[in-house]
Amino acid sequence: MSHLAIIAMLLGQWVNLPLPNTPRMADGKPDLTAPAPKTQDGKPDLSGVWRIADGRYLQNIAADVGEAPFQPWAAALYKERADALGKGRPSERCIPHGVPDAMLVRNSPFKIVQTPGEVVILYEEFNHYRQIFTDGRGFPPETNASWFGYSIGKWEGDTLVVDTTGFNDQSWLDDPGHPHSDALRITERYRRPNFGNMSLEITFDDSKAYTKPWTARVPFNIFADTELIESICENEKDHAHMVGK
Amino acid sequence: MNALATAIAILLTQWVNVPLPNTPRTPDGKPNLTAPAPKTRDGKPDLSGLWRNPDGKYLDNIAADGIDVPFQPWAAALYKDRQETFSKDRPSGRCLPHGVPDAMLVPATPFKIIQTPGVTLILFENQGHYRQIFTDGRGLPKETQPTWLGYSTGRWDGDAFVIDTVGFNDQTWLDDGGHPHSDAFHAMERFRRPDFGRLDLELTIDDAKTYTKPWKTTIHFALFPDNELMESVCENELDAKRLVGK
Repeated sequence: MSHLAIIAMLLGQWVNLPLPNTPRMADGKPDLTAPAPKTQDGKPDLSGVWRIADGRYLQNIAADVGEAPFQPWAAALYKERADALGKGRPSERCIPHGVPDAMLVRNSPFKIVQTPGEVVILYEEFNHYRQIFTDGRGFPPETNASWFGYSIGKWEGDTLVVDTTGFNDQSWLDDPGHPHSDALRITERYRRPNFGNMSLEITFDDSKAYTKPWTARVPFNIFADTELIESICENEKDHAHMVGK
Repeated sequence: MNALATAIAILLTQWVNVPLPNTPRTPDGKPNLTAPAPKTRDGKPDLSGLWRNPDGKYLDNIAADGIDVPFQPWAAALYKDRQETFSKDRPSGRCLPHGVPDAMLVPATPFKIIQTPGVTLILFENQGHYRQIFTDGRGLPKETQPTWLGYSTGRWDGDAFVIDTVGFNDQTWLDDGGHPHSDAFHAMERFRRPDFGRLDLELTIDDAKTYTKPWKTTIHFALFPDNELMESVCENELDAKRLVGK
Protein backbone atom coordinates (compact mmCIF):
# COMPACT_ATOMS: atom_id res chain seq x y z
CA MET A 1 0.00 0.00 0.00
CA SER A 2 2.68 2.50 0.92
CA HIS A 3 4.45 1.64 -2.32
CA LEU A 4 1.31 2.34 -4.27
CA ALA A 5 0.92 5.62 -2.44
CA ILE A 6 4.46 6.65 -3.22
CA ILE A 7 4.12 5.74 -6.88
CA ALA A 8 0.88 7.67 -7.13
CA MET A 9 2.53 10.68 -5.49
CA LEU A 10 5.37 10.58 -7.98
CA LEU A 11 3.00 10.31 -10.91
CA GLY A 12 0.67 12.96 -9.57
CA GLN A 13 1.49 16.46 -10.71
CA TRP A 14 -0.85 18.98 -9.23
CA VAL A 15 -0.75 22.41 -10.80
CA ASN A 16 0.47 25.38 -8.83
CA LEU A 17 -2.29 27.88 -9.03
CA PRO A 18 -2.10 30.97 -6.82
CA LEU A 19 -5.78 31.53 -6.08
CA PRO A 20 -7.01 35.08 -5.44
CA ASN A 21 -9.00 34.15 -2.31
CA THR A 22 -6.06 32.55 -0.49
CA PRO A 23 -5.04 34.69 2.51
CA ARG A 24 -1.27 35.20 2.49
CA MET A 25 1.55 35.92 4.86
CA ALA A 26 4.12 38.66 4.25
CA ASP A 27 6.27 36.23 2.26
CA GLY A 28 3.36 35.35 -0.04
CA LYS A 29 2.78 31.87 1.34
CA PRO A 30 -0.78 30.81 2.22
CA ASP A 31 -1.71 31.89 5.75
CA LEU A 32 -3.14 28.66 7.06
CA THR A 33 -4.11 30.15 10.44
CA ALA A 34 -6.11 33.03 8.96
CA PRO A 35 -9.83 33.01 9.83
CA ALA A 36 -12.04 30.65 7.88
CA PRO A 37 -13.85 32.38 5.02
CA LYS A 38 -17.60 33.03 5.28
CA THR A 39 -20.37 32.84 2.73
CA GLN A 40 -22.69 35.76 2.01
CA ASP A 41 -25.17 34.47 4.60
CA GLY A 42 -22.49 34.40 7.29
CA LYS A 43 -21.93 30.64 7.45
CA PRO A 44 -18.42 29.24 7.38
CA ASP A 45 -17.42 28.46 3.81
CA LEU A 46 -15.94 24.98 3.62
CA SER A 47 -15.01 25.41 -0.04
CA GLY A 48 -11.51 24.44 -1.00
CA VAL A 49 -9.27 21.53 -1.92
CA TRP A 50 -8.73 19.31 1.14
CA ARG A 51 -6.60 16.36 2.02
CA ILE A 52 -6.61 13.99 4.94
CA ALA A 53 -3.88 15.02 7.37
CA ASP A 54 -2.85 11.48 8.27
CA GLY A 55 -2.91 8.35 6.12
CA ARG A 56 -3.49 6.06 9.08
CA TYR A 57 -7.26 6.63 8.98
CA LEU A 58 -7.41 5.03 5.56
CA GLN A 59 -5.68 2.05 7.15
CA ASN A 60 -8.10 2.08 10.07
CA ILE A 61 -10.95 4.51 10.52
CA ALA A 62 -11.10 3.38 14.14
CA ALA A 63 -7.37 4.08 14.71
CA ASP A 64 -8.13 6.43 17.61
CA VAL A 65 -11.18 4.52 18.83
CA GLY A 66 -9.70 1.20 19.83
CA GLU A 67 -11.94 -1.58 18.59
CA ALA A 68 -15.21 -0.77 16.91
CA PRO A 69 -18.28 -2.33 18.64
CA PHE A 70 -18.70 -5.06 16.04
CA GLN A 71 -21.60 -7.45 15.81
CA PRO A 72 -20.09 -10.96 15.73
CA TRP A 73 -20.51 -11.46 11.95
CA ALA A 74 -19.00 -8.05 11.31
CA ALA A 75 -16.01 -8.82 13.54
CA ALA A 76 -15.45 -12.07 11.64
CA LEU A 77 -15.74 -10.35 8.27
CA TYR A 78 -13.37 -7.58 9.33
CA LYS A 79 -10.82 -10.13 10.53
CA GLU A 80 -11.07 -12.03 7.26
CA ARG A 81 -10.59 -8.85 5.22
CA ALA A 82 -7.74 -7.59 7.39
CA ASP A 83 -6.04 -11.01 7.26
CA ALA A 84 -6.24 -10.84 3.45
CA LEU A 85 -4.58 -7.41 3.60
CA GLY A 86 -7.72 -5.76 2.30
CA LYS A 87 -7.65 -7.68 -0.93
CA GLY A 88 -11.04 -7.69 -2.60
CA ARG A 89 -11.93 -4.16 -1.58
CA PRO A 90 -14.22 -2.42 -4.07
CA SER A 91 -11.74 0.25 -5.15
CA GLU A 92 -9.35 -2.29 -6.61
CA ARG A 93 -12.05 -3.08 -9.17
CA CYS A 94 -12.66 0.63 -9.86
CA ILE A 95 -15.83 0.56 -7.79
CA PRO A 96 -16.21 3.61 -5.54
CA HIS A 97 -14.70 4.23 -2.22
CA GLY A 98 -17.66 5.19 -0.05
CA VAL A 99 -18.33 7.46 2.89
CA PRO A 100 -15.98 8.30 4.56
CA ASP A 101 -13.42 6.14 2.79
CA ALA A 102 -13.23 8.35 -0.32
CA MET A 103 -11.98 11.27 1.79
CA LEU A 104 -9.27 9.26 3.53
CA VAL A 105 -6.93 8.67 0.60
CA ARG A 106 -4.02 10.99 1.25
CA ASN A 107 -2.71 11.11 -2.31
CA SER A 108 -6.15 11.94 -3.68
CA PRO A 109 -7.45 15.26 -2.42
CA PHE A 110 -11.08 16.28 -2.64
CA LYS A 111 -12.73 19.60 -3.28
CA ILE A 112 -15.70 21.11 -1.52
CA VAL A 113 -17.87 23.55 -3.50
CA GLN A 114 -20.38 25.13 -1.15
CA THR A 115 -23.38 26.81 -2.74
CA PRO A 116 -26.56 28.18 -1.12
CA GLY A 117 -28.63 25.05 -1.89
CA GLU A 118 -26.10 22.28 -1.73
CA VAL A 119 -22.57 21.33 -0.87
CA VAL A 120 -20.78 19.32 -3.53
CA ILE A 121 -17.80 17.10 -2.79
CA LEU A 122 -15.66 16.41 -5.83
CA TYR A 123 -13.29 13.52 -5.30
CA GLU A 124 -10.10 13.48 -7.30
CA GLU A 125 -10.13 9.75 -7.04
CA PHE A 126 -12.18 8.12 -9.80
CA ASN A 127 -13.58 11.55 -10.69
CA HIS A 128 -16.67 10.85 -8.57
CA TYR A 129 -18.84 13.37 -6.75
CA ARG A 130 -21.23 13.48 -3.84
CA GLN A 131 -24.07 15.94 -3.30
CA ILE A 132 -25.24 17.18 0.12
CA PHE A 133 -28.54 19.02 -0.16
CA THR A 134 -28.96 22.05 2.12
CA ASP A 135 -32.10 23.46 0.49
CA GLY A 136 -34.34 22.10 3.21
CA ARG A 137 -35.56 19.02 1.39
CA GLY A 138 -35.89 15.93 3.52
CA PHE A 139 -35.02 12.40 2.60
CA PRO A 140 -37.06 10.97 -0.28
CA PRO A 141 -39.55 8.31 0.82
CA GLU A 142 -37.56 5.70 -1.03
CA THR A 143 -34.02 5.69 -2.29
CA ASN A 144 -32.21 3.16 -4.38
CA ALA A 145 -29.34 1.61 -2.47
CA SER A 146 -26.24 3.52 -3.52
CA TRP A 147 -22.50 3.79 -2.90
CA PHE A 148 -22.53 7.36 -1.59
CA GLY A 149 -26.03 7.42 -0.11
CA TYR A 150 -28.47 10.32 -0.07
CA SER A 151 -27.23 13.25 2.01
CA ILE A 152 -28.95 16.25 3.50
CA GLY A 153 -27.16 18.91 5.53
CA LYS A 154 -28.00 21.70 7.92
CA TRP A 155 -26.02 24.22 9.95
CA GLU A 156 -25.79 24.03 13.72
CA GLY A 157 -23.90 27.18 14.61
CA ASP A 158 -20.63 26.94 12.72
CA THR A 159 -20.95 23.19 12.14
CA LEU A 160 -22.31 21.60 8.97
CA VAL A 161 -24.22 18.52 10.06
CA VAL A 162 -24.80 15.97 7.30
CA ASP A 163 -27.12 12.98 7.57
CA THR A 164 -26.79 10.21 5.03
CA THR A 165 -28.89 7.11 4.46
CA GLY A 166 -29.67 4.89 1.47
CA PHE A 167 -26.34 3.10 1.33
CA ASN A 168 -25.83 -0.26 -0.28
CA ASP A 169 -23.86 -2.77 1.81
CA GLN A 170 -20.93 -2.93 -0.61
CA SER A 171 -18.60 -0.10 0.33
CA TRP A 172 -15.97 -0.49 3.04
CA LEU A 173 -15.54 2.21 5.67
CA ASP A 174 -11.76 2.03 5.22
CA ASP A 175 -9.26 0.01 3.21
CA PRO A 176 -8.86 -2.92 5.64
CA GLY A 177 -12.57 -3.32 5.54
CA HIS A 178 -14.68 -2.09 8.43
CA PRO A 179 -17.99 -3.34 7.05
CA HIS A 180 -21.45 -1.88 7.13
CA SER A 181 -24.94 -2.96 6.19
CA ASP A 182 -27.69 -1.22 4.24
CA ALA A 183 -29.00 0.03 7.59
CA LEU A 184 -26.04 2.38 7.89
CA ARG A 185 -26.87 5.92 8.83
CA ILE A 186 -23.97 8.33 8.95
CA THR A 187 -23.92 11.68 10.71
CA GLU A 188 -21.01 13.90 9.80
CA ARG A 189 -20.11 17.12 11.59
CA TYR A 190 -17.79 19.39 9.59
CA ARG A 191 -16.04 22.37 11.16
CA ARG A 192 -13.47 24.72 9.70
CA PRO A 193 -11.74 26.41 12.63
CA ASN A 194 -9.42 28.40 10.37
CA PHE A 195 -8.37 28.75 6.76
CA GLY A 196 -6.09 25.76 6.76
CA ASN A 197 -7.92 23.15 8.81
CA MET A 198 -11.17 21.23 8.72
CA SER A 199 -12.29 18.63 11.21
CA LEU A 200 -14.82 15.88 10.67
CA GLU A 201 -16.59 13.98 13.39
CA ILE A 202 -18.34 11.00 11.92
CA THR A 203 -20.84 8.78 13.70
CA PHE A 204 -21.70 5.36 12.32
CA ASP A 205 -25.13 4.13 13.32
CA ASP A 206 -25.70 0.65 11.92
CA SER A 207 -27.32 -1.74 14.37
CA LYS A 208 -26.99 -4.67 11.95
CA ALA A 209 -23.19 -4.37 11.87
CA TYR A 210 -22.36 -2.67 15.22
CA THR A 211 -23.82 -3.10 18.69
CA LYS A 212 -24.00 0.68 19.23
CA PRO A 213 -23.24 3.88 17.32
CA TRP A 214 -19.58 4.86 17.34
CA THR A 215 -17.70 7.98 16.39
CA ALA A 216 -14.40 8.67 14.67
CA ARG A 217 -12.67 12.02 14.22
CA VAL A 218 -10.47 12.81 11.26
CA PRO A 219 -8.53 15.99 10.44
CA PHE A 220 -8.06 17.54 7.01
CA ASN A 221 -5.58 20.15 5.76
CA ILE A 222 -6.25 22.66 3.04
CA PHE A 223 -4.29 21.89 -0.11
CA ALA A 224 -3.81 25.51 -1.04
CA ASP A 225 -3.24 27.05 -4.45
CA THR A 226 -3.86 23.92 -6.44
CA GLU A 227 -6.56 22.11 -8.33
CA LEU A 228 -7.74 18.53 -8.57
CA ILE A 229 -6.34 16.48 -11.40
CA GLU A 230 -8.46 13.97 -13.25
CA SER A 231 -7.97 10.46 -11.96
CA ILE A 232 -10.06 7.90 -13.79
CA CYS A 233 -9.81 4.33 -12.59
CA GLU A 234 -9.02 2.55 -15.79
CA ASN A 235 -10.84 -0.62 -15.48
CA GLU A 236 -8.85 -3.23 -13.65
CA LYS A 237 -5.62 -2.53 -15.50
CA ASP A 238 -3.79 -2.75 -12.20
CA HIS A 239 -5.87 -5.50 -10.73
CA ALA A 240 -3.34 -8.18 -11.61
CA HIS A 241 -0.67 -6.32 -9.65
CA MET A 242 -2.57 -6.03 -6.39
CA VAL A 243 -0.88 -7.51 -3.35
CA GLY A 244 -2.83 -9.59 -0.90
CA LYS A 245 -3.79 -13.08 0.07
CA MET B 1 -29.57 -0.94 -30.30
CA ASN B 2 -29.18 2.40 -28.59
CA ALA B 3 -32.91 3.08 -28.58
CA LEU B 4 -33.47 -0.27 -26.91
CA ALA B 5 -30.71 0.30 -24.37
CA THR B 6 -32.22 3.69 -23.60
CA ALA B 7 -35.70 2.27 -23.19
CA ILE B 8 -34.40 -0.36 -20.78
CA ALA B 9 -32.51 2.22 -18.77
CA ILE B 10 -35.60 4.42 -18.52
CA LEU B 11 -37.72 1.52 -17.33
CA LEU B 12 -35.19 0.58 -14.68
CA THR B 13 -34.70 4.11 -13.55
CA GLN B 14 -36.71 5.79 -10.84
CA TRP B 15 -35.83 9.41 -10.30
CA VAL B 16 -37.21 11.03 -7.19
CA ASN B 17 -39.78 13.76 -7.49
CA VAL B 18 -38.46 16.80 -5.66
CA PRO B 19 -40.69 19.87 -6.08
CA LEU B 20 -38.02 22.57 -6.05
CA PRO B 21 -38.84 26.00 -4.63
CA ASN B 22 -37.17 27.89 -7.48
CA THR B 23 -39.23 26.25 -10.21
CA PRO B 24 -41.64 28.76 -11.84
CA ARG B 25 -45.09 27.22 -12.19
CA THR B 26 -48.17 27.55 -14.32
CA PRO B 27 -51.52 27.99 -12.49
CA ASP B 28 -52.02 24.22 -12.42
CA GLY B 29 -48.76 23.81 -10.49
CA LYS B 30 -46.72 22.32 -13.31
CA PRO B 31 -43.28 23.71 -14.10
CA ASN B 32 -43.55 26.67 -16.45
CA LEU B 33 -40.97 25.74 -19.02
CA THR B 34 -41.40 28.93 -21.06
CA ALA B 35 -40.82 31.25 -18.09
CA PRO B 36 -37.77 33.51 -18.40
CA ALA B 37 -34.41 31.96 -17.63
CA PRO B 38 -33.26 32.67 -14.08
CA LYS B 39 -30.38 35.07 -13.46
CA THR B 40 -27.50 35.02 -11.01
CA ARG B 41 -26.80 37.89 -8.62
CA ASP B 42 -24.43 39.44 -11.13
CA GLY B 43 -27.12 39.47 -13.81
CA LYS B 44 -25.84 36.59 -15.91
CA PRO B 45 -28.19 33.83 -17.05
CA ASP B 46 -28.13 30.99 -14.52
CA LEU B 47 -27.70 27.69 -16.33
CA SER B 48 -28.15 25.70 -13.11
CA GLY B 49 -30.54 22.80 -13.27
CA LEU B 50 -31.00 19.22 -14.39
CA TRP B 51 -30.80 18.83 -18.15
CA ARG B 52 -31.32 16.04 -20.57
CA ASN B 53 -30.80 15.56 -24.27
CA PRO B 54 -34.26 14.46 -25.39
CA ASP B 55 -33.18 13.08 -28.74
CA GLY B 56 -31.05 9.97 -28.84
CA LYS B 57 -30.03 10.60 -32.42
CA TYR B 58 -27.26 12.92 -31.26
CA LEU B 59 -25.83 10.23 -29.05
CA ASP B 60 -25.69 8.00 -32.10
CA ASN B 61 -24.36 10.76 -34.30
CA ILE B 62 -23.60 14.34 -33.28
CA ALA B 63 -23.61 15.22 -36.99
CA ALA B 64 -27.14 13.78 -37.39
CA ASP B 65 -28.55 17.05 -38.73
CA GLY B 66 -26.99 16.55 -42.14
CA ILE B 67 -23.58 17.95 -41.24
CA ASP B 68 -20.86 17.10 -43.71
CA VAL B 69 -18.05 16.10 -41.35
CA PRO B 70 -14.66 17.11 -42.78
CA PHE B 71 -12.75 13.95 -41.83
CA GLN B 72 -9.04 13.51 -42.38
CA PRO B 73 -8.61 10.22 -44.29
CA TRP B 74 -7.47 8.16 -41.28
CA ALA B 75 -10.38 9.47 -39.23
CA ALA B 76 -12.88 8.60 -41.95
CA ALA B 77 -11.49 5.06 -42.03
CA LEU B 78 -11.64 4.73 -38.24
CA TYR B 79 -15.19 6.06 -38.13
CA LYS B 80 -16.23 3.59 -40.82
CA ASP B 81 -14.62 0.76 -38.87
CA ARG B 82 -16.43 1.74 -35.68
CA GLN B 83 -19.73 1.99 -37.54
CA GLU B 84 -19.28 -1.43 -39.05
CA THR B 85 -18.62 -3.03 -35.66
CA PHE B 86 -21.68 -1.35 -34.10
CA SER B 87 -19.38 0.68 -31.87
CA LYS B 88 -18.54 -2.38 -29.83
CA ASP B 89 -15.28 -0.96 -28.50
CA ARG B 90 -16.50 2.39 -27.28
CA PRO B 91 -14.96 3.36 -23.95
CA SER B 92 -18.22 3.41 -22.00
CA GLY B 93 -18.64 -0.29 -22.76
CA ARG B 94 -15.70 -0.82 -20.41
CA CYS B 95 -16.82 1.72 -17.80
CA LEU B 96 -14.42 4.34 -19.12
CA PRO B 97 -15.81 7.86 -19.29
CA HIS B 98 -17.98 9.35 -21.91
CA GLY B 99 -16.21 12.56 -22.94
CA VAL B 100 -17.11 15.98 -24.30
CA PRO B 101 -19.83 16.27 -25.58
CA ASP B 102 -20.70 12.58 -25.42
CA ALA B 103 -21.41 12.53 -21.68
CA MET B 104 -24.24 15.05 -22.13
CA LEU B 105 -25.92 13.16 -24.94
CA VAL B 106 -27.21 10.07 -23.17
CA PRO B 107 -31.00 10.62 -22.95
CA ALA B 108 -31.40 8.09 -20.13
CA THR B 109 -28.95 9.89 -17.87
CA PRO B 110 -29.48 13.59 -17.18
CA PHE B 111 -26.75 15.94 -16.05
CA LYS B 112 -26.81 18.80 -13.58
CA ILE B 113 -25.25 22.21 -13.97
CA ILE B 114 -24.29 24.06 -10.80
CA GLN B 115 -23.20 27.59 -11.61
CA THR B 116 -21.20 29.35 -8.91
CA PRO B 117 -19.21 32.60 -9.10
CA GLY B 118 -15.82 30.93 -9.63
CA VAL B 119 -16.57 27.58 -11.15
CA THR B 120 -19.42 25.93 -13.00
CA LEU B 121 -19.85 22.24 -12.30
CA ILE B 122 -21.38 19.68 -14.59
CA LEU B 123 -22.37 16.57 -12.66
CA PHE B 124 -23.09 13.64 -14.92
CA GLU B 125 -25.50 11.02 -13.71
CA ASN B 126 -23.80 8.66 -16.12
CA GLN B 127 -20.92 6.94 -14.30
CA GLY B 128 -21.08 9.55 -11.52
CA HIS B 129 -18.40 11.70 -13.14
CA TYR B 130 -18.04 15.47 -13.06
CA ARG B 131 -16.50 18.26 -15.03
CA GLN B 132 -15.27 21.63 -13.72
CA ILE B 133 -15.35 24.81 -15.82
CA PHE B 134 -13.28 27.49 -14.19
CA THR B 135 -14.60 31.05 -14.45
CA ASP B 136 -12.22 32.69 -11.97
CA GLY B 137 -10.00 34.05 -14.74
CA ARG B 138 -7.19 31.56 -14.17
CA GLY B 139 -6.58 30.75 -17.86
CA LEU B 140 -5.53 27.39 -19.21
CA PRO B 141 -2.45 25.87 -17.54
CA LYS B 142 0.79 25.80 -19.53
CA GLU B 143 0.88 22.04 -19.41
CA THR B 144 -1.90 19.61 -18.83
CA GLN B 145 -1.84 15.87 -18.64
CA PRO B 146 -4.08 14.29 -21.24
CA THR B 147 -7.46 13.63 -19.65
CA TRP B 148 -10.84 12.20 -20.55
CA LEU B 149 -12.78 15.36 -19.83
CA GLY B 150 -10.11 17.99 -20.52
CA TYR B 151 -9.33 21.25 -18.74
CA SER B 152 -12.06 23.85 -19.18
CA THR B 153 -12.27 27.59 -18.68
CA GLY B 154 -15.42 29.63 -19.24
CA ARG B 155 -16.40 33.22 -19.84
CA TRP B 156 -19.54 35.15 -20.71
CA ASP B 157 -20.07 36.58 -24.16
CA GLY B 158 -23.33 38.50 -23.71
CA ASP B 159 -25.85 35.88 -22.63
CA ALA B 160 -23.78 32.99 -23.97
CA PHE B 161 -21.52 30.96 -21.69
CA VAL B 162 -18.44 30.15 -23.75
CA ILE B 163 -16.25 27.24 -22.68
CA ASP B 164 -12.83 26.42 -24.06
CA THR B 165 -11.52 22.95 -23.33
CA VAL B 166 -8.12 21.48 -24.17
CA GLY B 167 -5.92 18.79 -22.68
CA PHE B 168 -7.90 15.81 -23.93
CA ASN B 169 -6.48 12.38 -24.42
CA ASP B 170 -7.31 10.72 -27.76
CA GLN B 171 -9.44 8.00 -26.20
CA THR B 172 -12.95 9.38 -25.99
CA TRP B 173 -15.46 9.20 -28.80
CA LEU B 174 -17.46 12.31 -29.63
CA ASP B 175 -20.59 10.15 -29.81
CA ASP B 176 -21.50 6.51 -29.54
CA GLY B 177 -21.26 6.22 -33.31
CA GLY B 178 -17.56 6.85 -32.92
CA HIS B 179 -16.60 10.23 -34.34
CA PRO B 180 -12.95 10.24 -33.29
CA HIS B 181 -10.66 12.98 -32.07
CA SER B 182 -6.97 13.36 -31.37
CA ASP B 183 -5.10 14.92 -28.46
CA ALA B 184 -5.16 18.18 -30.46
CA PHE B 185 -8.92 18.43 -29.86
CA HIS B 186 -10.05 21.89 -28.77
CA ALA B 187 -13.74 21.98 -27.85
CA MET B 188 -15.53 25.32 -27.94
CA GLU B 189 -18.96 25.22 -26.38
CA ARG B 190 -21.48 28.08 -26.41
CA PHE B 191 -24.36 27.47 -24.00
CA ARG B 192 -27.47 29.64 -24.03
CA ARG B 193 -30.62 29.33 -21.95
CA PRO B 194 -33.36 31.08 -23.93
CA ASP B 195 -36.02 30.28 -21.34
CA PHE B 196 -36.51 28.28 -18.15
CA GLY B 197 -36.99 24.97 -19.89
CA ARG B 198 -34.39 25.00 -22.63
CA LEU B 199 -30.63 24.98 -23.01
CA ASP B 200 -28.90 25.23 -26.39
CA LEU B 201 -25.37 24.12 -27.07
CA GLU B 202 -23.39 25.09 -30.11
CA LEU B 203 -20.24 22.98 -30.17
CA THR B 204 -17.28 23.69 -32.42
CA ILE B 205 -14.84 20.83 -32.90
CA ASP B 206 -11.39 22.10 -33.74
CA ASP B 207 -8.93 19.25 -34.24
CA ALA B 208 -6.64 19.65 -37.23
CA LYS B 209 -5.18 16.18 -36.85
CA THR B 210 -8.60 14.58 -37.27
CA TYR B 211 -10.66 17.05 -39.29
CA THR B 212 -9.58 19.22 -42.22
CA LYS B 213 -11.33 22.26 -40.72
CA PRO B 214 -13.31 23.15 -37.58
CA TRP B 215 -16.94 22.08 -37.72
CA LYS B 216 -20.03 22.83 -35.69
CA THR B 217 -23.05 21.04 -34.35
CA THR B 218 -26.03 22.35 -32.39
CA ILE B 219 -27.73 20.30 -29.69
CA HIS B 220 -30.73 21.19 -27.52
CA PHE B 221 -31.36 20.11 -23.97
CA ALA B 222 -34.64 20.06 -22.07
CA LEU B 223 -34.91 20.87 -18.39
CA PHE B 224 -35.73 17.87 -16.22
CA PRO B 225 -37.63 19.84 -13.58
CA ASP B 226 -38.36 18.87 -9.99
CA ASN B 227 -35.91 16.01 -10.03
CA GLU B 228 -32.53 14.99 -8.78
CA LEU B 229 -29.73 12.93 -10.23
CA MET B 230 -29.56 9.30 -9.23
CA GLU B 231 -26.34 7.53 -8.55
CA SER B 232 -25.23 5.52 -11.55
CA VAL B 233 -21.91 3.85 -10.94
CA CYS B 234 -20.53 1.80 -13.78
CA GLU B 235 -19.86 -1.51 -12.13
CA ASN B 236 -16.80 -2.73 -13.73
CA GLU B 237 -17.52 -4.59 -16.92
CA LEU B 238 -20.33 -6.59 -15.42
CA ASP B 239 -22.22 -6.01 -18.64
CA ALA B 240 -19.32 -5.94 -21.07
CA LYS B 241 -19.71 -9.53 -22.09
CA ARG B 242 -23.30 -8.88 -23.08
CA LEU B 243 -22.57 -6.00 -25.44
CA VAL B 244 -23.74 -6.56 -28.98
CA GLY B 245 -21.31 -6.05 -31.84
CA LYS B 246 -18.90 -7.70 -34.18
